[in-house]
Amino acid sequence: MLTVSGLLHRFDTADANARAAVHIPELSVPAGRFVVITGPSGSGKTTLLYLLSGLLRPSQGSIAWSGQDIVPMHEGQRDDWRRRHAGFVFQNFNLIEEMTAYQNVTVAAYFSAFSDRQVRGKARQLLAQLGVPDEKRQISSYSRGEQQRIALARALVFDPPILFADEPTASLDITNSKGLAEQFQVLSRAGKSVIVVSHDPVVIGAADSVIRLDHGRLVALSSEAVA
Amino acid sequence: MNPFPIVLSLRHRQRVTLIFFVALITFAVALGVAITTQERAVRQGSARAADKFDLVVGAPGSPFDLVLASVYARPTSMGLVPAEDLARLMAEPEADMVAPIGFGDSIEGFPLMGTTAQFVSHLSGDLAEGQIFAHEDELVIGANVPLKVGDIVHAAHDALDSEEHLHEGSLTIVGRMARTQSAWDNAVVAPIEQVWESHGLLNGHAPTEEAHEEAAEDASDDHDAEAHNDHAAPVGPPFDPAYLAGVPAVVVKSANVPAAYGLRTAYRTSSTQAVFPAEILVQLYAVLGDARAIMSFLALATQVLVVAAILSGVMVILQLFRTRFAVLRALGASRGYVFLVAWSYVAMLIAAGALAGLVLGVLASYGVSRFLELRSGIAIPVSLAWQDVQFVLALILVGAAMAVIPAVGVFRQPVVDGLN
Repeated sequence: MLTVSGLLHRFDTADANARAAVHIPELSVPAGRFVVITGPSGSGKTTLLYLLSGLLRPSQGSIAWSGQDIVPMHEGQRDDWRRRHAGFVFQNFNLIEEMTAYQNVTVAAYFSAFSDRQVRGKARQLLAQLGVPDEKRQISSYSRGEQQRIALARALVFDPPILFADEPTASLDITNSKGLAEQFQVLSRAGKSVIVVSHDPVVIGAADSVIRLDHGRLVALSSEAVA
Repeated sequence: MNPFPIVLSLRHRQRVTLIFFVALITFAVALGVAITTQERAVRQGSARAADKFDLVVGAPGSPFDLVLASVYARPTSMGLVPAEDLARLMAEPEADMVAPIGFGDSIEGFPLMGTTAQFVSHLSGDLAEGQIFAHEDELVIGANVPLKVGDIVHAAHDALDSEEHLHEGSLTIVGRMARTQSAWDNAVVAPIEQVWESHGLLNGHAPTEEAHEEAAEDASDDHDAEAHNDHAAPVGPPFDPAYLAGVPAVVVKSANVPAAYGLRTAYRTSSTQAVFPAEILVQLYAVLGDARAIMSFLALATQVLVVAAILSGVMVILQLFRTRFAVLRALGASRGYVFLVAWSYVAMLIAAGALAGLVLGVLASYGVSRFLELRSGIAIPVSLAWQDVQFVLALILVGAAMAVIPAVGVFRQPVVDGLN
C-alpha cells in the first residue's frame, strides 16, 4: 500500500515562492496494482517517480510504503530500502554493454547481501521466462525488445514487492510494448506494485490505475487510486 | 561488495584515452626507474671493474686520469713514473705483484696496453683461448676484441690507425683472455717490453749476446736503433733495474691492507702519486650521487605532475559514466559502493601504469647497460632493488590518495542528475 500525504517538492529550495515541481496533497494506492503516471512533458511524472522510489527527497510531506515512511530516511537507508523493496526499469534500459545478459541481471549481487550463487537460479529462470535467448551473449547482440526484457529481469531478480519503470516502452515497437505491458499486468496480479511513468496508450490501457499530472498537480485519477 | 566487475566493464570505455593515460604514467615511471637502476648499475660495474686494481702508482698529475687510463683502459697523455721508482716498487717486500702498465698505442682502434703476463693472469685467470704472450711480438686480446688468435696485426701510434702512423714490425695474437667484465675486455694486451721498445726505450732486460751481435750487424747495415732489440727473448719479470724505462702507471697488489696503505703513503712523493682506485671512485660517486638525487627528484616531480594531469582527465571520463553510476544507485548500490568503483578504477589505472613503468624502466636500464658494456667492456649489472620497488609503491600510494578526489565527485553526485 502506497500512502502519500502533503507531498511537495521544489527544485529551488532557497525560494519558498518557487513553483512546486510536484504537489500532491493526498494519494493512496493499494498494493499489487499496476499504476501508470502520465501527463504532458514537464508535468512532473518522472520527478514523482523519483520521489516515490526514494531517489529524490521531497521538500515536504510523507511517502509511506506499507506504512514505512521513506522521507525521513537518510540517503544510505533509502539505498538500502530500494535494494530490498524496489526494482527499476529505464527508458534506455541502461544495461552495461560490456557485460553479458546474465551478468547484467545479477549486477546487483555485487553490492547487495546476496551472492551471485544465490541469485543464479532466479536470474536464469527470469531470462527464460521473459524469452531472452542465450544469456551469455553481450548486450549489443540483443534486439531492443530483448534488451528491455533483460532490464526487466534485472529489476526483478531479488523479487522486490515494488517495480518502478520510467517510459519503459518509449524506444520499443508496438509488439514489444504490448508484451511489456502484459508483463506488468502479470506482475501486479502476482502481488507486486508496478508504478510506471508512460504516455504510451498501450501501457496506459493495460494499467489498473492512471494518475494524470499537469504542472506537478494531480488532475485526474482513474480506477482504485484515491486522492 | 565487489567493485571489480563494474570497474572492469568501465575499462572497455574510452579505451584509447585510457591506454594513453596508462602509457603516460608508464613512461614517467620508467624514466625514474631507469635513472636509479642505471646509476646503481654504473656504480657497481665501475667498482667491480676496479676490484683487481688495489693500488695504482703514476706520475704526479690528475688521479682521475691515472685511474681512467690504467683501470678503464682510456689512455691519455700522462707523465711517466721514473725508472728508479719503478725499480724501487719492484723491490718492495710488501708488494705481492708489481705490474707496469704502458699504453698510448692502439690496434685496429682498440687500446694497446702493455703489462706483464702475471698481471694478465691476475685479471683474467686462465685464458679463454690460446696462450699468454712469451715474446714481445706476441699479444693477447680482451674477450670483446673482434680479432682472432693467429691474426697478425700492426700497432698504431696513439689511437690512430692509418698506415703512415703504424709502428714497424708485426705482432701476432697468441691468446684471448677470459672475460674480466672490465674495460680490459676491450683492450689488446702486449708485453710491456713491446710498448717500451716501440717507443725507443729500454726494455727492462740486459741485452743478450745474440742481441749484441745482431745490433752490430744492423748498425753496419745502417738500420735504426730499434733493430738492436731481441724479439725472440723471453718477456716479463725479473726486470733488470739498470735497464728499466719509465711507465705511465704501475698496478700494485699488496700483501695486506696495512701494506697497501703503507705503499700508498710511501709513493706519494714529488715524482709519484699513489691512489686507491676505490677512493677515486668514491669521489666520482659523490658527484654521481648528487646528480642522481636531482634527477630522481625531477623524475618524481614529473610523475606526480603526470598523475595529477591524468586525474583531471579521468574526472572528465568519470562524468561520462555518471549515468551508469546513477543506475547502480537506483538499483540499490550505496554511495560507498560507487565511490569504491570510481576510486578502484582510477587507482587501477595508476597502478597499471606504475607497474608497467617499473618493468619498462628495468628493461630500458638493461638496454642502456648493454650499450655501455659494448662501448666500454665494463659489465654494468642492472638490478632491481627494494628501493626501486618502494619508489613505485610510493607513487601508487600517492596516486591512490589522489584518486579519492574524482571518487568523491562520484560519491556526491545526485542520483537523479545522472538519470536525467
